[in-house]
Formats: sequence, structure tokens, C-alpha cells
Amino acid sequence: MVPAPTGERSTRSGPGKVLIAVYGVFALAACARAGVQIATRFSEAPLAYLLSALAGVIYLLATIMLARGTRTSRRIATVALLVELVGVLVVGTLSVLDPEAFPRATVWSVYGIGYGFVPLILPIVGLGWLYATRPTR
Amino acid sequence: MEARQVQSCPVITVLAYAVMALSGAMVVWGLITAVADKPPGKAQLLYAAGVEIVTLVQSIVAFVVLAQGFRPDELATTIGYLIGIVVLIPVAWFWANVERTRFSGVVLAVAGLAVAVMTLRLLQLWIPA
Repeated sequence: MVPAPTGERSTRSGPGKVLIAVYGVFALAACARAGVQIATRFSEAPLAYLLSALAGVIYLLATIMLARGTRTSRRIATVALLVELVGVLVVGTLSVLDPEAFPRATVWSVYGIGYGFVPLILPIVGLGWLYATRPTR
Repeated sequence: MEARQVQSCPVITVLAYAVMALSGAMVVWGLITAVADKPPGKAQLLYAAGVEIVTLVQSIVAFVVLAQGFRPDELATTIGYLIGIVVLIPVAWFWANVERTRFSGVVLAVAGLAVAVMTLRLLQLWIPA
């Protein structure tokens, strides 16, 4: 990674561009997956599918807010990423301890094992990026 | 039923392997320009457009086969993939051109990887119900 250029840094410039691209892919994946699950077999596992939908909405929100990169959107992105981190940790842990509670996979099941653990890494990298690009006051 | 005959239509398989190979090359190309610290060049962007066209053809052919009565194991998921897969490269193309840096190439690589993985999943799902 090249050192950060001096001056104004936005969450969408430099490596942030890649972060947003990955968030975009996950927003699409999670929203589409939840849409299909809810439309076709919601009654099988309502909790798991609602969590899928929540994850999709959070990925979408994070994508848009990181891409905007204004002061307000940074705050919203921070909250979204924290919710995402808590979500993947809680759902991941519950799905390991009590697989019965999650009969159907979500993006966050077993810390996102179905997606190469990217769902676990993404919020950590994202929060790190928000910190690295924080406005100097 | 006729489903098995429709399924054995090799066009889908050939197209899927072509898309995976082409998008795989898109990943490598994107990473090479990123390592070389260059934004994607004209040839690379044209190549991405070409991969998009083949991906689009794949989705159209698959929809035609579905319309002819073939029912894959997970119809809704398959339709979701067939639609979702064609929006990735155009969005990545736009996003890569907003601010042209080495990271634009990585954005194209991310889209290429997603297209390759989704095509692999499509191929796995493409079995009669």
C-alpha cells in the first residue's frame, strides 16, 4: 500500500475504492439471497431469513455511505459497520453453539464461512479504513 | 420428461466455462495493472466490456432454456444469479472510472472474481429439479 497522500482523504479514494467494490458485491449477494429466501420459503426459517435481509440492508447502507464519504455518511457508515461486526460475531457464535437455531444458512453463519470469512474480515477492515481516513481537526 | 434432454444442451456448460476463463483473466489483468501502479488501460476496459457481453449471452441463453421448460434444482436462486451476474461488470466499470488509479484495476478484479464464482454456482445449480 502506498502511503496516504497528504491533504483531504475521502473514504472512497485509493484503497477505499476496492473496499466499496467488495461491499457492493456483498450488498448484491446478501440482498438477492434474502429476497429469494423470503419470496420462496420464508416459513422454513423466518429468523435466519430476516437476518439475511438485515445483513443485506446493512451491506447496502455501508456501500452507499462509504461511497459518499461526507462527514454524516462517515458516521452512518461507522454505525453500520459496528452493527455488521456485532451481527457476524453474534450470529457466527450462535450458529456454532446452537446449529438448530439456524437451520438455514445466512451470510453470517459460522462467521461467514460460506463466503470465505470475508463477512468477518470486512467490517474490521472497514472500521480500520474509517479510522485511517478520519478527518483531522 | 424432456427436462433431461434440455439439460444436456451443452451450450450452457461451454458458455459457463468460457465466462469463468474470461473473468478469471480479468482478475489477473486487474491485479497486474494494480501491482504495476497503473490505472486500467483502454484495452483492459474493452476486454471487461467483452466479458460482460459473453456474460450477458450466458444469461440470455439460460433464460431461453428456462423458457423452454427446463427447471433447475433451485429455480428462484438460479434466476437471481442470472440477473445479478450481469450488473456486476457495468457497475465495476463505472466505479473504476470515477477516479482512475491502480485501485481501479482491483475493482475490475473484484467484479471478475464475483462473476467467476457466480458462474461456478450457476453451473452447480444447473441440474434438473
